[in-house]
Amino acid sequence: MNSINFNEDQIDALKEFMNISLGEATSHVAELLDAFGTMHIPKISVRDTSELKEIVSESVEASLNYYVMKQLFAGKFGGECIFIVSEQSANNLGTHLYETDNPDKDDINDAVMELTNIVTSSIIGRLTEELDVQVQFFAPVSSFVKSFDIADDDEMAQYSKVIVVSTELEFKDHNISASIFILTKDEAINSLKELIDKKIEELYS
Amino acid sequence: MDILKCPEVLLNSLENGHFVVDDNFVVTYWNRWLSVNTQITSKDIIGKSLEEFYPNINYKILRRKIKTAIRLNSPTFYDSNNDSAFLPIRRNKVTKTSLKLMKQQITISPYIIPENKVMISVYDISELFETKLSLQTEVNKVNLLNKILEDDKDIIDKNIMIMKTTTDGKISDVSTLFCNFFEYDKEYLIGKNASILKSGNLPDSTYKELWNTISNKKHWSGEVENLTSSGEGKWVESRITPILDDKDNLIGFNAVYHDITNKKLLEQLYITDPLTQIYNRGYFDDLLSSIRKHQRKADIDFVILIADIDHFKSINDTYGHQVGDTVLKEIAKVLKDTLRDNDIVARWGGEEFVMMLKNVDIDKAQAIAEKLRVKIEQTEIDNNINVTSSFGLTKYYVGENTNLTFKRADDALYEAKKSGRNRVVTKL
Repeated sequence: MNSINFNEDQIDALKEFMNISLGEATSHVAELLDAFGTMHIPKISVRDTSELKEIVSESVEASLNYYVMKQLFAGKFGGECIFIVSEQSANNLGTHLYETDNPDKDDINDAVMELTNIVTSSIIGRLTEELDVQVQFFAPVSSFVKSFDIADDDEMAQYSKVIVVSTELEFKDHNISASIFILTKDEAINSLKELIDKKIEELYS
Repeated sequence: MDILKCPEVLLNSLENGHFVVDDNFVVTYWNRWLSVNTQITSKDIIGKSLEEFYPNINYKILRRKIKTAIRLNSPTFYDSNNDSAFLPIRRNKVTKTSLKLMKQQITISPYIIPENKVMISVYDISELFETKLSLQTEVNKVNLLNKILEDDKDIIDKNIMIMKTTTDGKISDVSTLFCNFFEYDKEYLIGKNASILKSGNLPDSTYKELWNTISNKKHWSGEVENLTSSGEGKWVESRITPILDDKDNLIGFNAVYHDITNKKLLEQLYITDPLTQIYNRGYFDDLLSSIRKHQRKADIDFVILIADIDHFKSINDTYGHQVGDTVLKEIAKVLKDTLRDNDIVARWGGEEFVMMLKNVDIDKAQAIAEKLRVKIEQTEIDNNINVTSSFGLTKYYVGENTNLTFKRADDALYEAKKSGRNRVVTKL
């Protein structure tokens, strides 16, 4: 079995791919949702699944409620994208996209879903394009939860390690910010390493 | 590899709705599932705008989603939790249902990008949604029950004394009240043998009977005296229940205790002579009545002995009642200390004491009485007082009225007094 950790070259390459992907995601959001935002340089780490709750809790405020969208993507590089938006940010997003001062629950959910879908499709679509593999997206699943219910330990118990790619998305004009976690597990981590090695070889050959 | 020659046949055979629209919402394809479920035929809708048939859809949002799908070359979605249906379709389910309209998941996939056409797929997720709802209802019920159980557990923990042990008597759990009552830390008790609480004041036969009963997977109830961590005896009513697994194997014991300290204290007061701290006349009377009534084999072999302090009145007259009381206390102590644990000593009244000597023949009883007489004679009270005593004794005959037995003993005492005091007289 291959080592679960990435070497320095692999991390550098993955960061580079993620930067390109996030750039494209930001541009798509600006074009499609008419919202000009910035995305922070992503943090990439391989962690024990038991750490996920702690990692997620660092990006949220304990007293707040959050809209959480989870979108699965399948293929040689498969995984799950978790998009976390505070209640206030989600309200602002609903106001912006539905052009109403008082968006209802459905409007807000749909607005968060649109943003999630655009960001996930852009990031993962571009990343898999770089790695030359196909990917399929599934419909995001939404929930409105208290901060400590975002990453339930029970859900994660079946995996040993996860790659956590985390970043923040900010639309200062609309007072919207979100945290994004891209999680892949076990066999997908090895697939990703192989794909990155192949790409590095192509680039330097 | 086979090339798909008839995509329309394939799309018509699917159990989902699929239609193609452009960014002006003009429908260019409408599959059979949609015709059946919406009652709008493909002939009616193709070439027309979706808006004519479904004016309630938010077309600004739909346009953006179509644009997103085409721009990203990737599907976009509607939230399936949305309360309003994208294409309202009545459900045909006749049996119990919580959904009148079909719950749908809508996926918008890029189709012919240069023509800005997308395929909109409609998936019926009503059954899934209903299952989710009923599951949520059940989860809510379970959560409520769990909360009630937790609350009850807390109430039980704080208000009932419970100890759990393994089959070999090692303590595996104790309630908070148990710890407070016996003044132990829970951590200290866990793993210790339950015998740590034994006072030693109960006969071994009680513990043997207890152990035999529970080892045979039966309940045992009884009153036991346990010790606190500081060595104080506490009376508890105990009910021990064996814990069995699914296959009826014994896996431990559960003991529930109830504090009966006050009850025991009252019982003790009721049967104790306050001055001498030995049994009172009432207790001895009850004992004789019980023997007469039940005639248990273990109880009917005994000798009755009555003792009377000689010239006690003159002690009271000479030294005062306080000294008289001291004499009574000292004599009671001599009697109690000299006899065996299972013999009974009671104050009959005034300066008279009565004793029941169990399982002895009359000769042995006479010797015991003589021993008592000598000890009393030799006991110096308050440094300078010596008293003597007279004894009358008799044997109980099986089946006879105990009043008769008592009368014989009393007659014997009278004889002892009459014939000079400080002696033992037997009357059979």
